[in-house]
Amino acid sequence: MRARTSLYSNPKPCKHLSDYKLRYGTTPFENLHEFIKAGLNGRARIEGIEVPRCSSCNGYRGRLYMCLICSAVSCLNHLGLHTQSGDRHDIAVDVERAELYCCSCGDQVYDSEFDGIVVSERVRDLPEDKNGGFEGVEERTSKRRKLKLDPGIEDDPKKARTMMSLGDHKEKSCYPSGLRGLNNLGFTCFMNSVLQALLRAPPLSNFLIDRHNHDKYRNKSGKNPCLLCEIGTVFHAMHSTDHTPYSPARMLYSWWRHTPSLASFGEKDAHEFFISVLNGIHDFSDKGQERNDSEDKGNCQCIARKAFSGLLRSDVMCITCGFTSTTDEPCFDISLDMPTSNLSFKGVTNKSVEPNERTCSSTLFGCLEMYTRPERMGSDQNFHCQNCRGTSGSLKQMSIKRLPLVLCLHIKRFSQCLSRRIILKNGQYLQFPFSLDMTAYLSSSTVRNRFGNRIFAFKCLNSDSSVAYEIFAVVCHSGILQTGHYVTYLRVKDQWYKCDDPWINEVDEETVRASQTYMLFYVQRRLVINFQRVSTRIASAVKQSSKG
Amino acid sequence: MDPQDLQETIHTKLIKSGERERLKELLRERLAESGWENEMRALCRAFVRDKVTSSVRLDDLIKVITPRGRESVPDNVKAELLQQIRSFIASNAV
Repeated sequence: MRARTSLYSNPKPCKHLSDYKLRYGTTPFENLHEFIKAGLNGRARIEGIEVPRCSSCNGYRGRLYMCLICSAVSCLNHLGLHTQSGDRHDIAVDVERAELYCCSCGDQVYDSEFDGIVVSERVRDLPEDKNGGFEGVEERTSKRRKLKLDPGIEDDPKKARTMMSLGDHKEKSCYPSGLRGLNNLGFTCFMNSVLQALLRAPPLSNFLIDRHNHDKYRNKSGKNPCLLCEIGTVFHAMHSTDHTPYSPARMLYSWWRHTPSLASFGEKDAHEFFISVLNGIHDFSDKGQERNDSEDKGNCQCIARKAFSGLLRSDVMCITCGFTSTTDEPCFDISLDMPTSNLSFKGVTNKSVEPNERTCSSTLFGCLEMYTRPERMGSDQNFHCQNCRGTSGSLKQMSIKRLPLVLCLHIKRFSQCLSRRIILKNGQYLQFPFSLDMTAYLSSSTVRNRFGNRIFAFKCLNSDSSVAYEIFAVVCHSGILQTGHYVTYLRVKDQWYKCDDPWINEVDEETVRASQTYMLFYVQRRLVINFQRVSTRIASAVKQSSKG
Repeated sequence: MDPQDLQETIHTKLIKSGERERLKELLRERLAESGWENEMRALCRAFVRDKVTSSVRLDDLIKVITPRGRESVPDNVKAELLQQIRSFIASNAV
């Protein structure tokens, strides 16, 4: 199944529409506002005329248009008549669809202000986001990187790469800087695999290069060892000139101290570890205070949030009246369902899976599409609409309000089988791209779709450049949960490496694609080029410190 | 009563009682369920794609798609809608 096409370019107005706007501005649209009735699924129509009829032939069938200057209604056959009679009465509105029509061009036309008014009927509670924290951070980090570098390189990744490899030749070890095996300390492959991926996340590695970044802020008198410091130690160990496998024992110990409930031997879930580590970093974030309050959404600027945190939007629409209530929640990753059709236990889910779901969900696009698809919540779910008190049920739709710098997609392969109390794994192959465009899954796209692709200014926190992602790490799982094994595939300058505890090997693309992917790590494309420059910085910084 | 007048009366009554809106929604739902909507969307896309030289006007698109759309409505959908309209007429003493 193809990804949704996401090219929305606003159509240009015809000269008649431009003329009209110049003459009358948006006043007629605003006057029309009270007559626009919004229906379900983004449909809208003009109310006020009970039985619309053509003023020339009294016909009531087919498309009827109301002139926006004199309110005369005409059918298609007599629109021409009306235009000729009046003084430049070109622009009309389709009574049943609330769409603008230019009688002279004989075609539908579009105007963002008109669409804005149509949509404003329904869009009551979209929160007014101030551009505070997040945009500011983006600007800051990108300014930092742009300082010493040749602007020409930014647009030409190939050029950057050739420059890089020239530099590498001088200190040619087998593998690029930062690749080092991690010893398994007893069922700790879940930790090793996630660490390998985490440490290559550009924003995090940038932050960790400079130890002072963190030292300034951490709470030195805290009871628990600081997770971020431990990660920093591992990071520098990975980049040292010593290529023998490293044992992250202190890291493991610190994590145990932080998450006592998981402090035991035996295999753990890598995703669980990932989330608990990010929470751990967040807890010891800046201002030197231990943060126990996980509700602290907007204010926290810890590196975990800066790098991984996105905003997920959940819209619940009443089927009866269309009223939508919206909730935004921050997240460190997105957990995607896979189709359950492969599992033979029908008792696990209540949903019946249609045949086309099976084929389309075995790609990442399918999973993302399933995630952002409007889902009907049945009328047995005790739904009471705030607006109309209807109880026929609701439609729930998820979308991404704000994309993170590093996007972690977690594939939910494990599920609890209630009847047998064991954990099942869905080992189905999942097709995934190396380059990912997230436009179709943004809230701006789903809201647009919901309103019939109307043009309106949607407060968008994502600029065009931040929807393109490149993959840089994949954590895979083989076997069943209890006795399985995690490995990580890392992508460094178009070459893939397999990190299997202490062993690092070069592998080809096909191996990566064929694996049972469990967590996919994507980073915004514009950060990828920067990271390649950062790698040389790290290598030279490490060289400096080993000399001194 | 003249069939034209009858049609007009039914039309007016349907609108005023709100039944027309309800029937429209029902029709939309049935057509979507049966895959008719997706077929039409594919047809429209094909039509627009083929028109390489000039951009497509709404009227042209409608002129081409309408007959195809009308003939491919599933019979059971037609039957259901007709049935609903009949019972409306019967219970509204037209």
